[in-house]
Amino acid sequence: MESVVHGFVAGRSPYLRTKPISPLPISYKTLTCPTASYPYSQSLISLSQCKVGTSSVLFATPDAGVTSETNVWAMQDFYSLRKEVEATSRRVEEIRASAGLDQLGEEVAKLEEATASDSFWDDRSSAQQTLMALTDVKDKINLLNEFQTQVDDAETVVYLTEEMESTDTALLEEAATIVKELNKALDKFELSQLLSGPYDKEGAVINITAGAGGTDAQDWADMLLRMYVRWAERQRYKTRVVEKSMGEEAGIKSATVEVEGRYAFGYLCGEKGTHRIVRQSPFNAKGLRQTSFCGVEVMPLLPEDSLNVEIPEEDLQIGFSRAGGSGGQNVNKVETAVRITHIPTGVTVRCTEERSQLANKIKALSRLKAKLMVIAVEQRASEIKQIRGDAVKADWGQQIRNYVFHPYKLVKDVRTGYETTDIVSVMDGELDPFIKAYLRFKYTQSI
Amino acid sequence: MNLSILARASSLSTAFASRTLHRSIACSSVSYAPNSINPKTPLFLRPPIFTATLSDLQKWQNWAKTLASSVGSSFTESDNGPDSEILHRELNWLIEDALENPKSLRTRSEFESESTLQLRADLGDLYTLWKQRIEMRRPFQYIVGCEHWRDLVLSVEEGVLIPRPETELMVDLVCDVIKENGDLKGGLWVDLGTGSGALAIGIGRILGDAGRVIAIDVSPIAVQVALFNVKRYNLQDKISVKQGSWFDPLTEFKGRVAGLVSNPPYIPSGHINGLQAEVGRHEPILALDGGKDGMSDLLHLCNGAAFMLKPGGFFAFETNGEDQCRFLVDHMESVHKNSFYDLKIIPDFAGIQRFVTGIRL
Repeated sequence: MESVVHGFVAGRSPYLRTKPISPLPISYKTLTCPTASYPYSQSLISLSQCKVGTSSVLFATPDAGVTSETNVWAMQDFYSLRKEVEATSRRVEEIRASAGLDQLGEEVAKLEEATASDSFWDDRSSAQQTLMALTDVKDKINLLNEFQTQVDDAETVVYLTEEMESTDTALLEEAATIVKELNKALDKFELSQLLSGPYDKEGAVINITAGAGGTDAQDWADMLLRMYVRWAERQRYKTRVVEKSMGEEAGIKSATVEVEGRYAFGYLCGEKGTHRIVRQSPFNAKGLRQTSFCGVEVMPLLPEDSLNVEIPEEDLQIGFSRAGGSGGQNVNKVETAVRITHIPTGVTVRCTEERSQLANKIKALSRLKAKLMVIAVEQRASEIKQIRGDAVKADWGQQIRNYVFHPYKLVKDVRTGYETTDIVSVMDGELDPFIKAYLRFKYTQSI
Repeated sequence: MNLSILARASSLSTAFASRTLHRSIACSSVSYAPNSINPKTPLFLRPPIFTATLSDLQKWQNWAKTLASSVGSSFTESDNGPDSEILHRELNWLIEDALENPKSLRTRSEFESESTLQLRADLGDLYTLWKQRIEMRRPFQYIVGCEHWRDLVLSVEEGVLIPRPETELMVDLVCDVIKENGDLKGGLWVDLGTGSGALAIGIGRILGDAGRVIAIDVSPIAVQVALFNVKRYNLQDKISVKQGSWFDPLTEFKGRVAGLVSNPPYIPSGHINGLQAEVGRHEPILALDGGKDGMSDLLHLCNGAAFMLKPGGFFAFETNGEDQCRFLVDHMESVHKNSFYDLKIIPDFAGIQRFVTGIRL
């Protein structure tokens, strides 16, 4: 019965009557009739009751006006659709290539050969594993082939439309729907490839520290804190600023934010490094151009029981910051910050947010473990002992992004080259393009 | 307030008594320690029977923040007191303790400014409390009535020393010792000058089934507060709290004690006036003033350890720093020759030589 409504507008394709199309056409504008006062969403909802009679009420306008109007829109739509289909086709090609379709085929052959062997079931658990691996690889191949089929379908529609030299709106809508859904599936697939690190699906702990340079750098740290909190809110992640140390005049010296939610670490891990700002200093009467830096560290927020690494006591230097004096009974300060340094690598963490020293120590230790585990993965070390401290220092302090507010506006990622002039949106948490660009960059680096 | 004046009066008199003669002050303490002393319930344990709108609470919060910010580093400069940053942190913890559901503050938006929150204290009292914190320098822990210490939350109030983070380490020292010596794990331990009961409870929780702790304090308020904390951790069968001066309540256990710990008053009398206001003006002088060189009680404890501990028994004392540690070790090596071995000076996390430990021969 949908075909009745659409058919009224476009009404030519025999294809339509045999195959039901998606109830949610992408481009309503194709169908928009200038005099129809009902919003389309409403008319679609009531379709089951309205059939022909109602639709004739809806479109009670001279036929000629509608069709010519529709054709203009449809032609414009067709061009953009063709472009989209072409882009998607290229994307499918790229993804199939980078996923290594040929290798996957070989892998299937190898695994199938293994299952065929007489001794296959001798070791049940390894047999199970092999079968599971086989299913995984086959699923992946199927998915990649499905992408191809879908994009082929969309291409056929484009081809047909060109051949027929006439526009079949419903057909185009179907193609548009296919392309839209396919792109979603491709996004998902790509992300699952990009976010396949062992801790990627965990929550994250972001640690922001103002660099040297006093108030300007501290203000910059505060801006970054806001940026990440806004980004997390957009993703509907739960954030908790667990520690914040205020600057003397403005801004913050440091802050720690816990971000809870799936894949928070996977997305944020590329944010670690030094962030540089160039602007006219708001804290300087002359408004001179000023460059400031801020360090960002990102660690996974791991549940306590997953931190099953033992670090020898003698490798740890535990510092307890109490502001001077004789300590003990002489002083009463709630400051119970604990700082732990892993001596062999120089990796340091600090925890100040808990209310007792022991609680801070426990939390600092689990943060240290999380950090070391991530570094081990980064360096492809099988255990913490193999971590190279010098590499950690170079890697974690690397300048990764420039934010220029003056004399022009530009945010540019040093690693990926991705850039935008819309600095306001970026500071408002619009980080996704940067994050995705980095994840792709990391992925291509790894192959 | 009346209670704290009473506590001060009793502290002073008992301090005098315990410093001059180490004899039982049971008689004198009776007149100052009516049985009616009831420890105050910490804020976070009080019922959430008060309400305030979100906007009113935020108004208070902003006021309190501004007040804390106005302090800057002036307290730090005058007596090494807290700066604004620490005060802001305290304010967050006060909110944490005062609200029935502190998370709701973060999740509610500004559109819900008229929604009500359940509080554990009247909003008016919160104004008074924060004023006391800033203007009178009343310690934060007395404001909220508790201190987070190790994995414990201990009730504290005026008249009881607020347990310090340094002292947390003493439980670790005991833990190391009983790990190697099962006999000590099931033995009798004594915490002298227990205050809030921190050390006694910390140790009580790591001892074996047979292990017992006697917690002693001369201050009747401390005894009540320690008892409250012991009960809250359901350790009343393991820990008994006794009122008395140092070893006085222990005569029957002479030579049978497996472990002895104490964080006695060790600040030299001359330093009391220059202390951080939170400490000097509000915490019980009885728990701080260790006499002319701060060693009076420590020396008394060393001498007592020699006759109270059983062979192989362990002791750990907290001190004011390196000088006192060295003095004690010298004293034990000379005066109590052949009484102790394995005498050690152990630093706290800040690197200050803080503890003296040893084992009875």
